[in-house]
Amino acid sequence: MTDHAVLVLRLAAPLQSWGGPSRYNRRETRPQPTKSGVLGLLAAAEGRPREASITDLLNLRLGVRVDQPGSLLRDYHTASDYRGIPLPSAKVNAKGAQTKTSPPKYTGVTERFYLQDAVFVAALCGPASLLEHLEHALRHPAFPLALGRRSCPPTGPVSLGLQDSTELPDALAAVPWQASAHRRCQVRGTEVTLEATVEDPAGDQLAVDVPDTYDLKTGTLFGRRSVRHLWVTVPTGRQAAEPADEEAPPASTGHDPFALLGW
Amino acid sequence: MPYLSKIALNPRRRKAVSLLSSPHRLHAAILAGLAVQPVTERVLWRIENNTPHRTEILVLTENRPSWQHLVDEAGWPGADGGEPLLADYTPLLERIALGKEFGFRLTANPVQSVPRPTKQSEQQNTRLKARAEPLNPGERRPRGLRVAHRTAAQQLAWLLARADRHGFTIPEATSDTPAPGLKADGLFAAGPAVSIVSRDILRFNKHRDGPRVTLSTATFEGRLRVTDPEALRAALLQGIGPAKGYGQGLLTLAPVRAKAAVAHA
Repeated sequence: MTDHAVLVLRLAAPLQSWGGPSRYNRRETRPQPTKSGVLGLLAAAEGRPREASITDLLNLRLGVRVDQPGSLLRDYHTASDYRGIPLPSAKVNAKGAQTKTSPPKYTGVTERFYLQDAVFVAALCGPASLLEHLEHALRHPAFPLALGRRSCPPTGPVSLGLQDSTELPDALAAVPWQASAHRRCQVRGTEVTLEATVEDPAGDQLAVDVPDTYDLKTGTLFGRRSVRHLWVTVPTGRQAAEPADEEAPPASTGHDPFALLGW
Repeated sequence: MPYLSKIALNPRRRKAVSLLSSPHRLHAAILAGLAVQPVTERVLWRIENNTPHRTEILVLTENRPSWQHLVDEAGWPGADGGEPLLADYTPLLERIALGKEFGFRLTANPVQSVPRPTKQSEQQNTRLKARAEPLNPGERRPRGLRVAHRTAAQQLAWLLARADRHGFTIPEATSDTPAPGLKADGLFAAGPAVSIVSRDILRFNKHRDGPRVTLSTATFEGRLRVTDPEALRAALLQGIGPAKGYGQGLLTLAPVRAKAAVAHA
């Protein structure tokens, strides 16, 4: 098992969007990074063309920890022709040119969903040689890296390095909490419990996010993988509160003007 | 001999709801508890919402009052915990000494006087017109118009500006040390040890078809240090700021909180 390693990624950005198999004019986001999105990020870092084979990447097992869940952003999006002519339809005429929509449709309406201000830790378990190559590629990416969409570039370095451990839950528990300073201010305790999803053949849930290819000509068909949900507890780095701090909240509401009157 | 009393009102009773909805009616009900009529002394009071499901009224009177009418009509007559508390206020007045620290709470109506408000009401317009005539020699310049402070920052600045003349200062707050990894920059700097715990705008009519009263109030809570015992005693008995008839301006002192005391020692 020594030839296996774990590559740890930090996926943080103002906007992320992990689509999965969403269709037509409503493009949704999953609450956690998808395998398709993470493998696409790695393939882009390596510089693979879209039609290249990704079978070697599919064998990597993915685990995701939610360090900061973020919030959902809905982008109401319209598209129309600036000349005021109807939008083109999907049909082509005898000459092969696209026809106009009939009855004319001037505005296309789409909804795109994003995760705002989310931070995830993703761990990939697989052969050490492949992961070392991918880790180098992440630090020297061939194509710009993006978190689910090209409009969502990551904040800070994506790679947190390689780990020797072979179990995804252990690897996720070993990574320090990656939440932003704002979120750290809000949490008073000494440790936080974070939601995690790991790929496990014995898992009781199915995730439909395994891509077959990224080729745009054929489109992507999504396969299934078994996953398991668990909780991971990590330290926040904050000292335990002093006893005086714990007494303060009840006292703060108790302004008793009679206390000084010899009552 | 001043007395501090605390009367518990039952908000599920119609009379209590009627009293609590109008500071005008509540003031009349409080003055009715004094036997020396007509009331000429300064009566200060305040509504306290510390406990859920009951509202307490804190009243400071010069003579010994009786609150039986309030308890019978709007409280819990005969119930445990329904009896009003009544305490002599002189022990507190005697404890006030230079340099001592107390916790305080004050609900006040912070106002300022401006020569010409940016947006005048009808009454303000008529007053401004009336004073448009040039002043005769020897005549005093008329007062400005009273306008409420509306932001929390202004209300806090109002209190800090008045602290000195009422015989106290508000010391610097002692803040917790920041967590490891967090820098102690301006975000964590300690300010004065006072905070606004609630803000409200009271709107009520003095009587049917009567003038509408609007008061912008703020409740301050914090720590104070005595700099002039005589002035602080006067502030405790006479109140701070305007709208004293409508439950504003009663300053109460309490022991400094345990945490603040530890930090101070």
